[in-house]
Amino acid sequence: MAAERGLAMATCTAPVNIAVIKYWGKRDTNLILPINSSLSVTLHQDQLRTTTTAAASRDFTEDRLWLNGKEADVGHPRVQACLREVRRLARKRRGAGEDAAALSLSCKVHIASENNFPTAAGLASSAAGYACLVSALARLYGLEEELSEVARRGSGSACRSMFGGFVQWQRGERPDGSDSLALQVAPETHWPELRVLVLVVSGEKKPVGSTAGMQTSVETSPLLKHRAEVVVPERLAQMMRHIQERDFEGFGQLAMRDSNQFHATCLDTFPPIFYLTDVSRHIIALAHRYNAHHGHTKVAYTFDAGPNAVVFALADAVAEFVEVLRRSFPPAANGDEFVRGLPVGSAALPQELLAAVVTEPLPGAVRYILHTKPGPGPQLVDDPSQHLLGADGLPRSRA
Amino acid sequence: MAAERGLAMATCTAPVNIAVIKYWGKRDTDLILPINSSLSVTLHQDQLRTTTTAAASRDFTEDRLWLNGKEADVGHPRVQACLREVRRLARKRRGAGEDAAALSLSCKVHIASENNFPTAAGLASSAAGYACLVSALARLYGLEEELSEVARRGSGSACRSMFGGFVQWQRGERPDGSDSLALQVAPETHWPELRVLVLVVSGEKKPVGSTAGMQTSVETSPLLKHRAEVVVPERLAQMMRHIQERDFEGFGQLAMRDSNQFHATCLDTFPPIFYLTDVSRHIIALAHRYNAHHGHTKVAYTFDAGPNAVVFALADAVAEFVEVLRRSFPPAANGDEFVRGLPVGSAALPQELLAAVVTEPLPGAVRYILHTKPGPGPQLVDDPSQHLLGADGLPRSRA
Repeated sequence: MAAERGLAMATCTAPVNIAVIKYWGKRDTNLILPINSSLSVTLHQDQLRTTTTAAASRDFTEDRLWLNGKEADVGHPRVQACLREVRRLARKRRGAGEDAAALSLSCKVHIASENNFPTAAGLASSAAGYACLVSALARLYGLEEELSEVARRGSGSACRSMFGGFVQWQRGERPDGSDSLALQVAPETHWPELRVLVLVVSGEKKPVGSTAGMQTSVETSPLLKHRAEVVVPERLAQMMRHIQERDFEGFGQLAMRDSNQFHATCLDTFPPIFYLTDVSRHIIALAHRYNAHHGHTKVAYTFDAGPNAVVFALADAVAEFVEVLRRSFPPAANGDEFVRGLPVGSAALPQELLAAVVTEPLPGAVRYILHTKPGPGPQLVDDPSQHLLGADGLPRSRA
Repeated sequence: MAAERGLAMATCTAPVNIAVIKYWGKRDTDLILPINSSLSVTLHQDQLRTTTTAAASRDFTEDRLWLNGKEADVGHPRVQACLREVRRLARKRRGAGEDAAALSLSCKVHIASENNFPTAAGLASSAAGYACLVSALARLYGLEEELSEVARRGSGSACRSMFGGFVQWQRGERPDGSDSLALQVAPETHWPELRVLVLVVSGEKKPVGSTAGMQTSVETSPLLKHRAEVVVPERLAQMMRHIQERDFEGFGQLAMRDSNQFHATCLDTFPPIFYLTDVSRHIIALAHRYNAHHGHTKVAYTFDAGPNAVVFALADAVAEFVEVLRRSFPPAANGDEFVRGLPVGSAALPQELLAAVVTEPLPGAVRYILHTKPGPGPQLVDDPSQHLLGADGLPRSRA
């Protein structure tokens, strides 16, 4: 953080997370309090991350925000909620008297944020974005305390991106949301063999947005109410046990069931919401055939409120399943890398597996596969050459 | 019924029914007792019916069964259950001493059944089939009592085809199923303006069979349990009220919600069951756009465990919506009738309706539309030329 000429700057990176016990539905839309707890896996920032630089200066005349190089609306209510909350916490803390922090508090801020993954991939994660925003602002204002509550005000699932590894977002009971927080269930080092394949699918129609969708679900779905009150509390405990015990069979089965149940409540919404497409159903059927062929759970799918599929597997199953995916969704021959991220070994598929599992190839249905694994929470970026803003407070063109 | 040369014969017709509060899941798979009550609309036999002739003769050496002209397995457990039950009731009644009935009881039976709709249409209704079988056998054996319980032993939904109009299948409480029966909620004359459009879709893959599917749902879906115990009892009462009051807005909305909830429990099954296809989703979205455009519920969809859609509408909405369907699912130009059954008037579509509603035509997705309406329960066929079996007890070739 450089306090030269009254300019303070901080840069952080933050991860994406994938829920295995899903969040869908708020009991308070203003404070973003959920109707049930949720549990997620934080993905590694080498493959997916948001980088955010926050700068404060006496020379800035107004708060400004840039997303992936383009100026965006800093007045967005969720951005403002995060800004307000961080500033409020910083003012409380002010008695400690740090000059840089005091400087920042009285000034306007410039914020620039970038993803290392394309927006068009449908992975654009508000979770990573808000977790990063809050982390960078907190660093700017010298805050070190519990921040998942603040990130939650930006986007519910952002609170889970404030930690690495396996994270729970506790529903909380208090109306003011002060107990609706994230906590780490196990660190990213807990399950070294766990791998994640993100299947980025091709050109799907823009689905119903999460915020509006979940609100309609809360208002119209009797099954969602039962899920939140009865089913999820039980499943959360089970899932934590599977993770503690590194029980992939249990983890995988429960993840698949919870993904399906989430989508079931979308179908029970009125009008019904469809996030699963024909391609989604193919991937689901493929996973079940693959597991049936092997006689146990080797891969587990989960789908969020969008077209992409996320598949969990242990490291020793990755090569074979990626080859199954390659045969099932033969990529276009134009040379774009079909498998990205962590390296994947090669695998020959036995004829009987091919016959039993690869039954209906859908060429081009999957654009590419990103191979990743669990990873850490938000990181501070020390290298000043990585700041997204220049000393003038404007976005830097970076080679 | 002709009792010449020791041959007794009876022919009945029976209808198809469409559930608006769905049955899915048994509490007893042997007696076919459901986990929740259900409610249906019986469709008119002019458009959809099964015809069954049952004959008994001292000359028959074994029970035999023909379906649509082809000999079928009379040993099928469900067929045997119906035969056994009817014979048991007939023996109880024997004290009355009717000769023809006495004759039938001691002889083997030949049964021939035909549908007036193609099997390939996916409308092949076990409900109409078993209701017809039971009705013909009952006539043969001189039974006049409550028979929905017997039909239920053939196929659960068959008990609802034992009545016309609007029919409820009461779940019952007794383990022996003696109170799990159908009863008429309102006759087919109750709502003269109600119409039904059956959308027969094109060449879908054979879906998971109902019997196995619903068993897996009962075993694996927490949401189904809640639906059966809490949601359906409430909805059943609501639906009966809507029908009594001829409230199409209420009837239609609840029918759509219940169809969606049934499919939601299929998705909450493990492995998940998908009966709704991309075409189904298009029809659903189309119905919602159409209703939104008009500002109230003018059409209401419902989908069973298969690809075909059933759409309810009042008579004055049929012409316009059929034209919307024609534009949305332009039929192949080869001349096969796209609209069958009851006549449909013509309708010009205002440009603004076209623009708002017909947004993504899917040529050929719907094979044809069958226009029908509520109709009566099983009918006795008096005309001996309509028997499906000849005096020799073998299927008659009919011009």
